[in-house]
Amino acid sequence: MASITQEALQPRRAAELLDQVEKNIHRVIVGKDRIVRLALTGMVAGGHILLQDLPGTGKTLLARALATSVGGTFRRIQFTPDLLPSDITGSSIFNQKDLSFEFVPGPIFAHIVLADEVNRTTPRTQSALLEAMGEGQVTVEGTTRVLERPFFVVATQNPAEFHGTYPLPESQLDRFVLAAEMGPPTDAEAIEVLARREHGDPIAELAAVIDVGEVIELQEACLRVVAAPAIRTYIVSLLQAIRARQDVLLPASMRAGVYLQRAAQAWALFEGRDFVLPDDVKLLAVPVLAHRLGMRGRGKAADAVGELVASLPIPPLRQH
Amino acid sequence: MAAVIRRTLRLPPSPIEHSAEARSFAFLAFAVATAAIVIYGQDYVVPLLALPIAALGHVVSHRERNSKRGLWRQVLLVTLVVAALFYLLADSALALFGGVLPQANFAILLVAITSFDLKTRRNCYSSIWISLAILYLAAVFAWDYMFGAFMAVWLSCLFAFWTGSHLRRIGSAFTTPVRPWLLSLGSSLLLGVFGFVVLPQPAGSPVSPLVVSLPNFTRFQGDIESPALPLVQLAGDPTGATSSIDLHFRGRLGDAPVMYVRTGAPAYWRGLVFDTYGDGAWTASIHGYRELSPYVPARLMPPQPEDNLGTFVQTFRILRPMPGVINAAYPMESLYAPVSGLREDAYGTFHTPQQLRPGQTYSVVSYLPNLNAKVLRQDDVMERLPDHLGTYVDARPLSPRAAQLAEDVAGSATTYYDKVMAVTTYLQRTYRYDLDLPPVPAGRDAVDWFLFDVKTGYCEQFATAAALMLRSLGVPARLATGYSIGDYDPVLNQAVVREHDAHAWVEVWFPHHGWVPVDPTPGVSPLAATRFPSHWAGGGIARLIPHLAIGAPVAALGSLGVLGVVPVALAVGLMVVLAYAWLRRRRFGVRRRVSPGEIDLLRLYERLQRRLGRRRAPPETPLEYETRMGPGQLLDDVTSAVNEGAYAGRWPDPARVRELARGIPAISRRRL
Repeated sequence: MASITQEALQPRRAAELLDQVEKNIHRVIVGKDRIVRLALTGMVAGGHILLQDLPGTGKTLLARALATSVGGTFRRIQFTPDLLPSDITGSSIFNQKDLSFEFVPGPIFAHIVLADEVNRTTPRTQSALLEAMGEGQVTVEGTTRVLERPFFVVATQNPAEFHGTYPLPESQLDRFVLAAEMGPPTDAEAIEVLARREHGDPIAELAAVIDVGEVIELQEACLRVVAAPAIRTYIVSLLQAIRARQDVLLPASMRAGVYLQRAAQAWALFEGRDFVLPDDVKLLAVPVLAHRLGMRGRGKAADAVGELVASLPIPPLRQH
Repeated sequence: MAAVIRRTLRLPPSPIEHSAEARSFAFLAFAVATAAIVIYGQDYVVPLLALPIAALGHVVSHRERNSKRGLWRQVLLVTLVVAALFYLLADSALALFGGVLPQANFAILLVAITSFDLKTRRNCYSSIWISLAILYLAAVFAWDYMFGAFMAVWLSCLFAFWTGSHLRRIGSAFTTPVRPWLLSLGSSLLLGVFGFVVLPQPAGSPVSPLVVSLPNFTRFQGDIESPALPLVQLAGDPTGATSSIDLHFRGRLGDAPVMYVRTGAPAYWRGLVFDTYGDGAWTASIHGYRELSPYVPARLMPPQPEDNLGTFVQTFRILRPMPGVINAAYPMESLYAPVSGLREDAYGTFHTPQQLRPGQTYSVVSYLPNLNAKVLRQDDVMERLPDHLGTYVDARPLSPRAAQLAEDVAGSATTYYDKVMAVTTYLQRTYRYDLDLPPVPAGRDAVDWFLFDVKTGYCEQFATAAALMLRSLGVPARLATGYSIGDYDPVLNQAVVREHDAHAWVEVWFPHHGWVPVDPTPGVSPLAATRFPSHWAGGGIARLIPHLAIGAPVAALGSLGVLGVVPVALAVGLMVVLAYAWLRRRRFGVRRRVSPGEIDLLRLYERLQRRLGRRRAPPETPLEYETRMGPGQLLDDVTSAVNEGAYAGRWPDPARVRELARGIPAISRRRL
């Protein structure tokens, strides 16, 4: 504790901030506590998330609510087959008044970017997004431009339709810190949704509760959360167990392990903890790992990871 | 395979040994141990065969140290090791190849075989440790200061291996510092010479060798045979009841050694004793025996003679099959023989269940009685003989003229001692010792024929005649058989007892000295020597080794029966733990400090789990366990403390743990 400076965000304060954001989002989103928290986890972990579900389940709404709550700039890119990389990154336009080329930033230059139906566009355009997500920078016409922090991409894809889609390659899937499915609402939730929309759209009244600077502070606080050697051992043994399974064709990469640790650190902040519990790892294993695995036959990656999490012994409490 | 073991036991990896110098020292350590076996164990075939093989193996190992282990070669090596193990079992049970030091042979073969697979430093170390075991086996038969030299050379090989491998590891060259070496060599030589001259030489102290011989667990079954003791016709039950010694018959006695005896003093190695003579044959009349464990401590033996010069140890190493009789110097103080059990007959002789096998060893501690003319002469005739001695004065088989001869010879002698000396010196002076004796004519008494007709004979005739003549004079006497001392071999530093050393003599009963051996055979002194000679194995490092054998504790364990397994299992377990600790010493070396609260808290957590009736399952996190066990303030507190400790490194102080522990009794025991 002594190593943390006075100005640094304390875990307790971080939990309060995150709680405010969650509450704010829930003014728009009914239920879906877990998804909301996962989305925030992805943001605090400094990664990007992938939401997969049918249209009309609130993916876009969640992204917008999140963007509004943190008070950053928000851009939405609707991915279509004819979208070009420059439509994302921006391009230089000749300014006839100044007789010079002027760079017009694309929608990627925002704090929060919603990449809607990301699997509808061509691999070439997808890869432009990939660079931005991976490096936090874009290269347009030979000039590299750094994106402003925080930079958070929420991508959605519709798993039900296949016509005219370009499924994301594994390498790109690997760059999302976690993936989640919205899931259908319960009856009570659905009724509540209707009730809230009776006289308009609540998102219009949504205001920011934290600012961009606080998001960066949260991300820094996340880095200070302690992951004990036992936690690292546990994550590695989990990756090894996945590798050892017969039905896994493409096992989890090392990056998956790194993301799992980072996401667990972020998750710990929600409870005001400055250390990771194996419970955090267990909770996040499916969202962080499942979308990266290539399965043999018709096996479901989420089921495989779930089984392992339930059966794999945690490292001994005594560490020597 | 090795990788799997290392991973399971979490052993640190052992680096490949690149240093040829270090390897050559590992081989040298083996060579030193083998040389010790050759010199002290007189075992030549296997050691000399194994040395070049091991040398070749070391060369091969060094060349192929970087390549992977081939499966088939590993299989071959394992097969060879198993074959060597079978050789050990067969050789110790059946004495296939003489049964000389089977354990040492096995260890030597083991090193020779495994020398083809010495990749890592740990491999080389295990080779060196086995050579230490070989050296230990050689120590069983070593008694002189020279063994210390072997030990020193072995130790310097170990140190040189260590130095060599570490120099190689840190990338430094292995150079020979000639001048310091010469200086230390010369100074140690000087010191040695100085010590040899100045230090007093130990002499006249009892020796106590170590004995290693595999125990033989067969039970008494009945017959014993006598292929190596032609003097005595042994048959019937092992109490010696129906054994007899027949003067009409004599087997041929060769020069072949029957046993080696390392002894602190010369003595007759007594075997069977006979008390009844009739029709030219001696038999034993008392048939009782008592059963004893293989280790007979002093408390089970007759009390020590009043007047003795101390004890001395004899170690017998059997070279040819012998009847199951313990030949040793009497009176005994204690005894250990590696057999399942011993029987002591009525005459104080010990029997083993089966005949003694070549390679078997047993050791005996005996008193050296103080016998001299002055003492024995004072040990005078009793007024009336005790009843149990009646048989020993029965001289009826003696012819009247022989009895008259005894009277004449004894003359005016009144004490036992004078009568004994008169009869024995008369026999020694008047009669001639000759092994070429014509058969006793039919119908003649063997003693009468010896005394008055042929006037030549060998030990049996002399001893029988002396015993019967002494009996006719009223002196209790009986016939003892066994072996004479044998030839002292200064090279082996032990007595070599040969077939022709088989001997018979007289034992005379003195009221205060018991049975005293007296030898009427020409060429030897009638009374046995009663001093510790200086040139017999009396000094050396054996003196420092405690009494009796390492086999004695084993035998004592054996007498515990099934319970005997417990101490052995404990010892083996301890050794395994120590070996494991040694192998993992690097991990123990960097072990971080354990906070006292950690141990206390985790112990409390275990207690709480037991109390709650269900232990935490391995995949369960403490939080999940807490949730599943239902609400409970104590479990909540302990769980969060455990989480803080295990995952944040903030263990509570012991006081806090004690405070938590106070809540435990309030938890009712739950059965799920």
